Amino acid sequence: MEAVLTALNKDLKPFEDLITSFSKGQLKPHVEERDRYPFGDLDTSVNEEAFNKIYELGFLGTMLPEKFGGIGQGISTLCMMLGHVAEVDASYSLIIFTSSMSQQIILEAGAERIAEKIFLGAKTAKDYLVAYPSFCNPGQLVTIPKASPAGKGYTLSGKLDYLVLGNFSTWAVIPARVADTPGYSYFLVDLSDKGVRKGEPIFSLGLHACPIVDATFDNASAQLIGEEGAGERYFDAASKVMHVATASISSGIMKGSLKEAVDYAKEREQGGRAIVNWSEIRMLLANMAVKSRAAEMCVAETCQGIEARIRDWGVYSAATAIMVHELACEVVTDGVQVLGGNGYMKDYGQEKRYRDARQVQALLGTAPLKKLSLIREIIA
Amino acid sequence: MLSRSDVKSKISRYPQFTDATISLHYAPRMPKAMVRETQEVVAVARKFNDEVVRPYYLSLDRKTHEDPDFMPLELVKKANEWGFYTMWVPKIFGGQGYNMPSLSYFCEEIASVCLGVANVLCVHYLGVSGLMMAGNTAVVKRVMSDVVQGEKTGEPCLIALAITEPTAGTDVEEVDLEDQGKITCSAKKVKGGYVVNGTKIFISMGRLSKWTVLYGYTNLKKASETTVVMLVKQGMKGFTYGTHENKMGQRICPADVLEFEDCFVPDELVALDPEKTRRFTRQKVRDINMRHIDYIVSITRPAVGSFGTGAARGAFEAALKFANEHELDGKPMINAEWVQCRLAEMYSNMRLGRLAYTEANLANQHRGVYNLLQMKPMYYYLKSLPKAYFDTVISPLLDKPIGTWLLSKWYLDWQKPDDQHLCTGLGSMAKFNCTDMGIRNCQMALEIMGQEGMRHEGGVEKILRDAKLLQIYEGTNQLNRLNVFKSLIAPACPKAKVFEE
Repeated sequence: MEAVLTALNKDLKPFEDLITSFSKGQLKPHVEERDRYPFGDLDTSVNEEAFNKIYELGFLGTMLPEKFGGIGQGISTLCMMLGHVAEVDASYSLIIFTSSMSQQIILEAGAERIAEKIFLGAKTAKDYLVAYPSFCNPGQLVTIPKASPAGKGYTLSGKLDYLVLGNFSTWAVIPARVADTPGYSYFLVDLSDKGVRKGEPIFSLGLHACPIVDATFDNASAQLIGEEGAGERYFDAASKVMHVATASISSGIMKGSLKEAVDYAKEREQGGRAIVNWSEIRMLLANMAVKSRAAEMCVAETCQGIEARIRDWGVYSAATAIMVHELACEVVTDGVQVLGGNGYMKDYGQEKRYRDARQVQALLGTAPLKKLSLIREIIA
Repeated sequence: MLSRSDVKSKISRYPQFTDATISLHYAPRMPKAMVRETQEVVAVARKFNDEVVRPYYLSLDRKTHEDPDFMPLELVKKANEWGFYTMWVPKIFGGQGYNMPSLSYFCEEIASVCLGVANVLCVHYLGVSGLMMAGNTAVVKRVMSDVVQGEKTGEPCLIALAITEPTAGTDVEEVDLEDQGKITCSAKKVKGGYVVNGTKIFISMGRLSKWTVLYGYTNLKKASETTVVMLVKQGMKGFTYGTHENKMGQRICPADVLEFEDCFVPDELVALDPEKTRRFTRQKVRDINMRHIDYIVSITRPAVGSFGTGAARGAFEAALKFANEHELDGKPMINAEWVQCRLAEMYSNMRLGRLAYTEANLANQHRGVYNLLQMKPMYYYLKSLPKAYFDTVISPLLDKPIGTWLLSKWYLDWQKPDDQHLCTGLGSMAKFNCTDMGIRNCQMALEIMGQEGMRHEGGVEKILRDAKLLQIYEGTNQLNRLNVFKSLIAPACPKAKVFEE
């Protein structure tokens, strides 16, 4: 089905065709298998193959300017794609999101040389896809590594939890504190450096096809991205755009949940009639549909607002994300409920969405703190 | 002021004051020893949590992911050693005879750490309830003696309950729906027993239970009038296990598919069927069947409510720990007002849940299924008598028809419909509210904890996975809402019909 974003902007159509055929052909047949324990296991060729396919199709550089080897599209294209992918398997939305987020940090820092080095030099997904701790606002983390100047560059020491793609990518964008400097800074780290230790893939609630690890640095060489102590500024600027991208993932999950619930309710009978004809089930479905449709429109309008650079666009982006995540968590809970016991089983897609939606909600920091920083901006 | 009769007339009109405020009237009538007994039960649960559950449950959950066919045999053995499978079996059947409402507090304690373990320990009592509520003392005695024996020999003997079918979930919980549904498990009367064909799904602890309380129907089109409650034993010819269900959560407690192909169940293992029903009552068989189901669920739904409260509590405790250990802008997180208010809300959800299941239990104690055993004289009489008395005096009576006649008469025939409505309605109310609150608290905890909450080792993500099933089993929360309407609201609305839209 055509996304609202595409309906509002026909230029997105070719990208939509590409992403939907990829999702159907490459992702759909493997959703269940990639969700299995051990999670985030990259030994299976299926996973690496899918990662490389996404890379070859250009999805990993959606918003990256063409001069750095990206496809130079805007937030609308990214959100439309993330939504479609999330409808099938939100793990892959996380991969695309993480790639975009690390690129945005590099771009916001004006680190063109670094962008050229990584993205123009890359030949595989491994080199192009930069690992990033997508589930936090680094300023709110209790522990982040310490950076010390060493020769022309820096070395990092300490622990960084929950690094998305940390066991896959060649490069990572890592927040760290430089001694005697306020705030934090971003660094580019080669993850194959002997000073980098990566843990086993973490057993998380959802998004299992995308590996996440804890990383420990022990005098690992690092290159400063942008300026010292400017990490928060880069994060704020990048996340301002990327908040709505997280919302689009939730919106896609909702669409998938609603579709499976409706399909099931038409087939399943209790009391001698299809459960879709029971008015309470209908009400459940209606609540899901209201939330799902409103969220999709909200994401689309926010994307357009961002592209038009309307006043306070960053606030709209964050507000959309916070609200859509909440709606998604409600929708996926009802989505399991409509399927009853079957919804709880791994034979259907609903239980995965129930887990994934919560995990997506945690992107870019915790929900209450996102709310508080939103109101801080409005009050100011 | 009002005269006594004025007061009486005002409080007895709908909504009847005593029905609306169960605890006010019945809590003071509870035997004091029951409270002490409950304290003991909670203490045992806490000890078990400390010694067995906490050091073990996360690695157990991980094992179920590594091997989807993993069976928690060691845990079952441990629970058996601790006496959990006979703890709430009445003394007259050889058990330890702890009062049934105390099971809810036990469930909550264990569930606050791990819902999977709580099910491994407690779902056995769903089977026990199904068996007891069929009212057949001879069958109960036979099966319970296996359970008691299992504890002595160290070979656990558990009871499962098999009612859900591939195409009938909600349908088999309501006689109003049964006859329209696609029910497929047939029980054909033959000489000396029944022959069963069909499939049962989502049976918790299915293949770990020696005995299963099985529901079959002699006429699949008229299931409400032709229900046959039978006991089947592991290894009986024609009784096999299908695939092991692959669930999102509560994975420590396995759920199984049970398959029956020409499985012969002899008469002595038939606990209730239309013929037996007619022996003790002139009421319609259909009504007695609904009453039987209502009795089971008025026991099990408050218990699921206590699971939900346990989930709410587990999530609350994790969020509290997180807030105690973390800082916001350099200050302790626990001192932020918004954090305090979220924690207060989570705490309230837990306590309101506990009130709800306690209220449902009090209704059962005084107006329902536990009333016989928990009247003060009976309670103390049973509590004080030595085991030998039960073995020599009571036990032989259980095999006689008079035993079955009395139990059936008491539970299934003599109980007043109003009392039954109250009990089943409050059970449903506890069930859907407590379990919804369980999910709500998980959601709040995860929001506060962010990425830390997503990790398996933190335990909250598991509570979220585990708790979802609570909104589904023992009747979906939608069915339970309808039951609240049917039992507590509709009796005052003469025009109201349920399941007939």
